[in-house]
Amino acid sequence: MKTSLFLAILALLFFAWYLSFLATRLDRLHHRVETSWANLDALLQRRAAIAIEIARSEISDPASALLLTFAAHQARDASIKDRSQAESSLSGALGILLDISESVDEVIARELLDELRTLNEKITVAIALHVESVTRTQLIRSQFVIRVFRLAGRAPLPVIHEFEAPIEAESN
Amino acid sequence: MTSLLFKEKKRIGLVCPYGWDTPGGVQAHIADLAEYLISQGHYVSVLAPTLGDSEFPDYLVSAGKPISIPYNGAVARILFGPIAFARVRQWISQGDFDVLHLHEPAIPSISLLACVAAEGPMVGTFHASAKKQKAIFAIGPILEPVIEKLTARIAVSEAARSTLTEHLETDAVVVPNGIYAKRLANGNVNSAWAGDTLGFIGRFEEPRKGLSLIIEALPEIIREFPKIRVLVAGPGDSKTYLENIPSVLRGRFEFLGRISEEEKADFLQSISLYIAPNTGGESFGIILAEALAGGAAVVASDIPAFASLLGGGEYGTLFESENAVSLARTINSLLADNKARDAIRIKGKAHAQNFDWDLVAERIYDVYEMSMVGLGKVTLASDNRSWSRFIGK
Repeated sequence: MKTSLFLAILALLFFAWYLSFLATRLDRLHHRVETSWANLDALLQRRAAIAIEIARSEISDPASALLLTFAAHQARDASIKDRSQAESSLSGALGILLDISESVDEVIARELLDELRTLNEKITVAIALHVESVTRTQLIRSQFVIRVFRLAGRAPLPVIHEFEAPIEAESN
Repeated sequence: MTSLLFKEKKRIGLVCPYGWDTPGGVQAHIADLAEYLISQGHYVSVLAPTLGDSEFPDYLVSAGKPISIPYNGAVARILFGPIAFARVRQWISQGDFDVLHLHEPAIPSISLLACVAAEGPMVGTFHASAKKQKAIFAIGPILEPVIEKLTARIAVSEAARSTLTEHLETDAVVVPNGIYAKRLANGNVNSAWAGDTLGFIGRFEEPRKGLSLIIEALPEIIREFPKIRVLVAGPGDSKTYLENIPSVLRGRFEFLGRISEEEKADFLQSISLYIAPNTGGESFGIILAEALAGGAAVVASDIPAFASLLGGGEYGTLFESENAVSLARTINSLLADNKARDAIRIKGKAHAQNFDWDLVAERIYDVYEMSMVGLGKVTLASDNRSWSRFIGK
């Protein structure tokens, strides 16, 4: 009788430890989703700023300047819902610029475009990290134990925003 | 890239799973990366198992003596166990690192131990590519929560990336291995190695490197190019190896032993064709990138890693893996056509610049930067547990 009670307590303790282990895991992932999104957001904002700077420089002709400025402002002001569309059109506008950038030989313009290129590479990495942390979190949160014991608390289930794919394709 | 110079100086900890004193791709990669980062002004410490007490660079910290176990078709010198774990924890707590970079954290090694012990910005690089194994399903649930702690994952090739997705259901950023393209670019033609010569670099005794395939293909090549010679560079016992080569072909082989970096540049510049007949087990093929950078025209087997490095045949010629007839045919047609050979040589050399450390290290550093955002320094995981805080540790 005593041993079985002892075993039961042991099992219970182990289960409690396991729950706390899962909760730590989930907490880490939630934290990562937040930071990776904040990081990506900051990079996208910076890209919009550079886009406006490029639009005002001599690299872009009036037509593409108009397109860039419009796209950049839209990307900055867009709500989460419309951001997908806005960021994609900015990606498109910048993609055209990067294609012709080989022929630019003015120093300041070159620096701007180089900055844009490095920024684009970073955005690609940031997107990959964010997508990874989101899918990982979704995967863990679908687990039975986590759902039953409500280990996720009141944290909203993270979702991947749609605009994240096209930028990746363009920046390569 | 000048932009790297303006970046903040960081404290970076690299963990190498394999014995530092045994030659290998991962070790070479880590040494190059460490030296590059140091040259950019960062503080770098490398934790690795070491065998002897030979001279080690300043940045190296020994984790103890490695043990040899068979892993992935070769003998790996790795280290684990409670003493190693204590050593890893000590290194982490004393290092005060901004970011940890763990290499091959999915095998039982100090990289895995570091991943368990640490908390904070961690980047993991996955080098190996392997076929889907049953055993992985058994260890998956143990590994997953550990690997999940990595803030960012890097795979050295698409092959390594798909291995990772299949085995551990997690994605990675692909950053190739680095080479010093500029050091290899300016070799001089050495007349002793020039003429109708086929070059091979590597541990020729290992069957998966595929030197035997060249031997098999040789008679067919001699028929069209009677002066053909095979130059083999790399460590190994050439005498015993020669005995296994049919006596008529023995005179065609020349073993150079291990060659220095300068000799390698000359070697690649001198030979007519560089042959990589590997039968598998390669995840990236750093030697191919080096051969391209050295200006050699490359013929390689069409294993996934090589095919992807050579752009599906655009930067080097592919033949059907483990098929001597296909190899002989490919070599013969290329030796006969100088124009085609030069064209592919120039294309390949330009392509190799993508693997230069200047670019690769910058991309790796980008990943460091991304993973450091929003997280503090690297700490020991146990320090953050609530009960440790509760008892005031």
